[in-house]
Amino acid sequence: MMQEEAYIRERPRKWKDFLAHNLNLDIRKYKRNLKKLNRGGLFLFTFFLILALFPSLFAPYSPTERFIPYEAPSTAHLLGTNDIGNDILSELVYGARISLMVGFASASISTLIGLMIGLFSGYFRGTPDELLMGFTDVVLIIPKIPLIIILGAFLHPSIWILILVLGLLSWESIARVVRSKTLQIRETGYVKSARCMGFSSFHIMVSDIFPNLIHVLLPKFMLATASAMISEASLSFLGLGDISMKSWGIMLSFAFSRGGFIRDMWWWYLPPGICITLCVMFIALMGFGFEGREKENGKRGVDSE
Amino acid sequence: MSLKAENLSRKYGSGLLGRGKCIFRDVSFELEPGKTFGLMGPSGEGKSTLGRIISGLESPTDGAVFFNGNPLSRMKKAEYTTFRRKVQMMFQDPTDAFNPRKRIKHSIFEVLNLLEISGTERIRCTKEILKTTGLPEEVLLRYPSQLSGGQLQRLALGRILLLDPEYIVLDEPTSALDVSVQAQILHLLKNVQAEQGISYLLISHDEAVIRFMSDSCGELENGQMDLIEV
Repeated sequence: MMQEEAYIRERPRKWKDFLAHNLNLDIRKYKRNLKKLNRGGLFLFTFFLILALFPSLFAPYSPTERFIPYEAPSTAHLLGTNDIGNDILSELVYGARISLMVGFASASISTLIGLMIGLFSGYFRGTPDELLMGFTDVVLIIPKIPLIIILGAFLHPSIWILILVLGLLSWESIARVVRSKTLQIRETGYVKSARCMGFSSFHIMVSDIFPNLIHVLLPKFMLATASAMISEASLSFLGLGDISMKSWGIMLSFAFSRGGFIRDMWWWYLPPGICITLCVMFIALMGFGFEGREKENGKRGVDSE
Repeated sequence: MSLKAENLSRKYGSGLLGRGKCIFRDVSFELEPGKTFGLMGPSGEGKSTLGRIISGLESPTDGAVFFNGNPLSRMKKAEYTTFRRKVQMMFQDPTDAFNPRKRIKHSIFEVLNLLEISGTERIRCTKEILKTTGLPEEVLLRYPSQLSGGQLQRLALGRILLLDPEYIVLDEPTSALDVSVQAQILHLLKNVQAEQGISYLLISHDEAVIRFMSDSCGELENGQMDLIEV
């Protein structure tokens, strides 16, 4: 009897248990760790956000103040100075604002465009859907970075143009996701009854469909922010950024072109690189966290509160 | 008021070559005031599609739905607004009858806003719904996920009644509920019909439900509708 009970208990072992026992790979533990990482991501991202919002609290000097150039790290200048004698730590702190602003502003533009196109396409279906999704496919296959380089070369390099270009060229995946979710929500009873009761399409889209898209949009927005920050850094490194507004990408670019690498001044080129990596990683972690929560909600049924 | 379907046909996936599957063809019937027309048939025969066509949520491939003698496809805006108020549809799954992100009171007030009812009249209407459906006031503050299937289906009917409809298409309104709750909902529907003289188009695959509720009845099978004796 006891043996049989043990056997019954043993039976419902899942593939996760199999992995945990045989390959020492515990998925559940990994999931728990991922949750911790998400929380950590949120915490550290908040740190960067505070840095960006109140740089004067953390930066020892103004980013334009000049000291002796090419100085190594010391107690006066924790990360040394650059070619024109600016304090690198102060530049780094003030650079957070520019990098995050580019990331968030262009992600807002792309999320807004993606939301409108996806919502319209999924709700109305038929010809508008085919036209809009056809257009989305065309935008999807355009190689982004080469196009931005060409645009950046022709247009006056400015941070606003960079934000606009990055925003206008990265909405396709958001539009696709929003469209598929809208198609799903459109067939639910509450949308069908709203249509039946005579609510306008605009009212249904804003009041019934949009609130149910937020869980999809939020992770997409975070991932778009991370991706825009990387694009900004790449473009700035290639010399297409706005040199009057020093972002982390511009700092890297200057370190490369003005002797930071040749003189092996790691305190000049490593910190902005590390900051970009960490910030993008934290934002991505938050995005994955929101995405995971959405999946769990999907399994349980939407929890309204 | 009258609601009539004439020679309705529906094809799916007609595509470029026009070789789609015909779900049903030449379906005609009329909903009489204050009576229930039962529609039964096996799964996949297009009962729900026919319901959606009658309530104007889908268009037929051929034929037309006539409301007060006017075809739906050629209605003027004012007529269509009247049609939208007078012909309503109640769906199978009560769990998605209300927006999961809104409290019940918001879903109800939304309809009252649509009808431009405000102030004390709004409170009176809401209380009336609760009285008709036999639910306590506290349900108004709940989210749909916090209510049972039977309660949600009652509220769905109550919300429809706010619009003072003449016709309600009931698309398997009890199939997602257990037997005792089914009986409550069916009795509620009958009471509402007796009080307000509403016509129902009741779609169900349960013959017992159809026999209990209907005055006349049709069976949709192999793309054709046959009228049968109740």
